[in-house]
Amino acid sequence: MPEPLLTARGITAGYGSQQVLFGIDLDVYPSQTLALLGANGTGKSTMLNTLSGFVRPWSGSLRLDNEELAGKPAHRIFRRGIVQVSQGRDLFPDMTVEENLRLGAAIRRGPVGQLLDNVFGSFPRLAERRAQQVRLMSGGEQQMLAIGRALMSQPKVLLLDEPSGGLAPAFVREIATIIGVLRSTGVTMVLVEQNIKLALKVADRFLILRDGRAFERSDMREGAISEEEIVRSIYL
Amino acid sequence: MLLMMAPQLVVSGVTTGMLYALIGLSMTVVYRTTTIVNFGQGDMATAGAYATLVFAVGLGLNFGVAVVLAIGVLFALGYVVQRALLRPIANAPHLALAMMALAVGYALRGGARLEWGNQFMTLPRPYPQGALALGQVVIPTDTLVIVGFVLLLLLILLVVFQATPLGRLTQAVFQSPRGAALVGINLDAFHAVAWGVGAALGAIGGVLLAIIVPLTPDLGEWVLVQGFAAMALGGFGSLGGVVVGGLLLGILEKLLGFYVNSMFIDITGYLITVVVLLVRPQGLFGRRMIVRV
Repeated sequence: MPEPLLTARGITAGYGSQQVLFGIDLDVYPSQTLALLGANGTGKSTMLNTLSGFVRPWSGSLRLDNEELAGKPAHRIFRRGIVQVSQGRDLFPDMTVEENLRLGAAIRRGPVGQLLDNVFGSFPRLAERRAQQVRLMSGGEQQMLAIGRALMSQPKVLLLDEPSGGLAPAFVREIATIIGVLRSTGVTMVLVEQNIKLALKVADRFLILRDGRAFERSDMREGAISEEEIVRSIYL
Repeated sequence: MLLMMAPQLVVSGVTTGMLYALIGLSMTVVYRTTTIVNFGQGDMATAGAYATLVFAVGLGLNFGVAVVLAIGVLFALGYVVQRALLRPIANAPHLALAMMALAVGYALRGGARLEWGNQFMTLPRPYPQGALALGQVVIPTDTLVIVGFVLLLLLILLVVFQATPLGRLTQAVFQSPRGAALVGINLDAFHAVAWGVGAALGAIGGVLLAIIVPLTPDLGEWVLVQGFAAMALGGFGSLGGVVVGGLLLGILEKLLGFYVNSMFIDITGYLITVVVLLVRPQGLFGRRMIVRV
C-alpha cells in the first residue's frame, strides 16, 4: 500500500455547542476514491467540510502530504490542493460557463488556456455551451460545470459532496461516468453520496459514518462486502 | 428673467450632484462586493473630512498630505469595522448588518460631537477660489475640481470593475460568496478591503464636501440620504448609474428649490428615494434589485 496522500486522525467538529463528529479517522490514497456513506445527518458533509476547511475541527489532525492543515482557513487549504465541489454547486449564475471555469483557476498565476482545453476535452457538453449563462443551464450541466471549475485549480484531492443529488437518472449515470473518467486519469477523490449504487461503482474504499463515528471501513477491491451488507450497516 | 437662472442652477446642481455621486460610488463599491448597503457611509465621509481637519489645521500639515493621511485612516477604519463588527455577525440577517453599519455611523457622529460640538468647521480651500465665465453662466473652480475628481474616480472604478481580473472576482463574490470561497478566495480579506476602499472613497467625498459647505457632526446624515438617493435613482450596483443619479438629484433639488419652494433642497433626496422604490425599484440603470435589509 502506498503512503496515504491525506490523513485525518481523531477529527471532532460541530456547530455551536452541537457536536457532529466524534473522532473520525480516515486515509485517502493517491489516485483512489474514498466514499463516505451513511444516512442523513450522520456527519458526512460535515466531515467533507472539515477536510476543506469550511468547518474548523475542534480537535484532531488533518495532514496532506505530511503537512498539518487542521484549523487552517479554507482559502489556505484550497491553495494546498484540497478543493471541494459543494452540494449546492455554488456557481456564479450570471456568468458564462467559460467565465466560471476561468474563476476556478482565479488564484493561479499564468495562462489557463491549457487547463480550459483539458476541461472542455473531458466535458464536451461544457465546450458546446461555453458562452451560455449558467443560470439557464440544467442541474446536470451545472454539476458538470461545478466539477470542471474545481478541476481548473488542478486539485491534489477533489471533494465531491452529493454529486448526484437532485439529478434525473440520466444525469446520475452521466455523473457516474465522469467520476469514473476522473478516477481513471488519476484524480484522488473523497465522495459523499446518498446513491449507494453510484458510490460503490466508483469508489475504491468506503467509510460508513453513524452518528458522527466511523462505523465500518473497507477496501472495495477485497470484495469482502456486498452492497446489501453495506445498506444494512448504514440503515439498521 | 426667471428662466435665465436655469443654466446657473444646473451648474450649481452639478457641483453638489457630483458629490452625491461620489458618496453613492463609495457605497456602491461596498455593495458590489458585500451586498450590504453601508448606512454608516455618510458619517464615514464626514469622519474623513474631520480627519483632514485635524491633520491640516490641527497639526498644520500640508493639505495634500493631510488628505492622504485621512484617506489612510478611513481605509483602516473601514477595514477594522468590517473585521471587528461585521464579520462576527456575517451570517446574521441583512437587517442586523445594516443596523450595525448605522450604529458605527452614529458612534462616529457622537465622537465628532464630543470634540467639535455643533461648531461649523470648514476645510481650507487648497486651490485658488475663482470662476470661469461662460456667457451668462459662471462656473466656479469648485465645480471644476469636484467634477474632475469624481469623473476620474468613476473612470478608475469602471476600469477596475469591468476590465480587470479583480473586477471579475468582485462580481463572483457578489453573485455567490460561497462559490468564491470554493475557488479559493479569502472572503474575509476581500470584504474587509472592500469596506476599507469604500470608506476611503467616502473620505474623498467628505473632504470635497467640507470645502464647499460647513462641516458639522450631523452632516453625515444628510450625506447618507443623498448618497442613498443617488444609488436608488441610478440603480443599485451600477457605477455609471449612481453618477447619473447623483447628477439628476443635484440638479433637480436646485431647480425645484428655486422655482417651487426652497424646502425642496432638503427633501428632494427623500422624495426621489420614495418615488424610485415605488415606481421603478431597479432604478434607471439597475438590472435587478437585491437590497436585503
